[in-house]
Amino acid sequence: MAQSTFDRRRVNGPEESFPPVFDDEDDGGLGWVAMRNRGAEDIRPIFLQPGLVSQANGSAYIETENTKLACAVYGPRQSKTTTYSERGRLNVEVKFAPFSCVRRRAPLRDAEDRAVAIAVHQSIVSSICLELFPKSTIDVFIVVIENDGTEGCIASGSIAASTALADAGIEMLGLVASCSASVRGDEIRLDPVEKEVAAADGTVILACMPALSSVTNVYQSGRVSAQGALKCMELCQGRCIDVHAVMAQSLLSSRASMP
Amino acid sequence: MTTALSKVEIAYIRSSLLSAPPLRADGRSPEDFRPIAVETGIAPLANGSARVSIGKPHTSREKEAEGAGGGTEVVAAVKLEVDGVGEDKEGGKVVCNVSCSPAAYPHLSSPALDDLQSDLTSVLGSVLSHPSLYPKNLVIVPGQKAWALRLDTIIFADAGNVLDCLMMACRAALVDTRVPSTRSVEYRAPGKRNEVPDDTMDVDEGRNGPSSLLETREPSGVVDFELADYWDEGGVLEARDSWPVCVTLNMLPTMHFLDATSQEESAIPLRLHVLFAFPGGKPTLHGMRMAGAGTSDLSQIRVLLKNAEKYARNMWTGLEAKLAEEEARRSIKAREKFYGRRRR
Repeated sequence: MAQSTFDRRRVNGPEESFPPVFDDEDDGGLGWVAMRNRGAEDIRPIFLQPGLVSQANGSAYIETENTKLACAVYGPRQSKTTTYSERGRLNVEVKFAPFSCVRRRAPLRDAEDRAVAIAVHQSIVSSICLELFPKSTIDVFIVVIENDGTEGCIASGSIAASTALADAGIEMLGLVASCSASVRGDEIRLDPVEKEVAAADGTVILACMPALSSVTNVYQSGRVSAQGALKCMELCQGRCIDVHAVMAQSLLSSRASMP
Repeated sequence: MTTALSKVEIAYIRSSLLSAPPLRADGRSPEDFRPIAVETGIAPLANGSARVSIGKPHTSREKEAEGAGGGTEVVAAVKLEVDGVGEDKEGGKVVCNVSCSPAAYPHLSSPALDDLQSDLTSVLGSVLSHPSLYPKNLVIVPGQKAWALRLDTIIFADAGNVLDCLMMACRAALVDTRVPSTRSVEYRAPGKRNEVPDDTMDVDEGRNGPSSLLETREPSGVVDFELADYWDEGGVLEARDSWPVCVTLNMLPTMHFLDATSQEESAIPLRLHVLFAFPGGKPTLHGMRMAGAGTSDLSQIRVLLKNAEKYARNMWTGLEAKLAEEEARRSIKAREKFYGRRRR
């Protein structure tokens, strides 16, 4: 690690580290088939709990098998910048814990943090009534505790952020649900894990507000046919309705349990 | 990217776009592009390079010197570096980088400029560095050495539609790229000649390479490479007809238009960037991004995607024709340069 990026306040770990190589990791030719223990159009079960961070205005913790992340919302509070803005600002920051990936991630900001943050921002920004919060900022902080693919992080991050915003009582047009899909050949698998993404030709992430049946974000990478992408989006939108029910249920039960 | 516009200006731009027929400040119809200029081979020290400008009114050099600008201008250059390969990897990589000239964004503070750069870099990286686009001929010595392809782009001026311009420049530079032809070199102990002479391989007899008397394992064969001395600068990248072009659809509810100027960009609520490639005439989607605070729905996206394919195909055909022309010019120039040097 270069001297300039050396952070003395942290335990920095060794200069170089390598993930252990396991014998059974190489599962031969049927990797793509063996990777799946659920149906192609099934998504991983979601555990969603709003209101875990007590000092935040709103928060949510989401866990879908190996993707685990926590989200806290602060605001709306006064913008730090002096310039007047008629609409509120939404600020999304994503942080990967150093132990969140197979390889250790340095605690400094890197490009992937920002890419995920941009995608989550795009997913939720059109759901918030920002015109109601002039001169204010809403801060959304997401910490990825365990990472199982960027696609899963973006989708779960959007779900958690939207739930946390609702938990904070910020006025929104609707809850944003999100789902990802991977395509290999003609086969579409929803909610892929990291290995499936690596083996796929391309991926699609869709974020939408099922209550209004409007799409807030489409994020596609890799090689997909136009028809394939549309098919993915349709399937994702179908799943988003289910995710929306999970979000609504978790918000309701957290309100009910409050004194 | 976004210049501050007043509410009135935004309303003016929107209402004229929504009027029938749609009106734009520069008199274009919604599906018109501004004039696009492409030039390849502009950086002599790079393995491939291109300059693309959108909306420059004068393309001749004399007028350019007068400072008649006002367009989006992007330069992309590819440099190949020899890179070691780790265990069990095929090797070779594509690394993209975007830098924005502060002159193009005088209104942005330097952290905002950094953010913009990293955003564009991550878009470019997620599209062009994707394993599905990886060119196979970046490998030099399998398992040992490979070319690391570094694609650097600089935005010199931004007058709107920067991503389309950027992707066009990247495609032009990658098509222009020549991978130096290499020959593998093998060291062998003298006296142990191979019975089957391999004419593609240059056997260095004079040196007693890494194999010593104590060496018990099988010699690995090819250990190094050398550059072939040939008039041509090398071969083109493999599968170069799959580097995509980008079409940005600017969406105002009920209509969409192409190639927005910076004013138009800040007046519209939602943009859809669609990246298409047409290898062998077959359309493949290589990326899709939404930007802005508006919303859309699936039926609208379906229509937009169909239109985007049509626009992208037009752009693709135009760019192909121009690149073929540039390539003919290039090989003539390269040949002249080589023979001219020989005669001297």
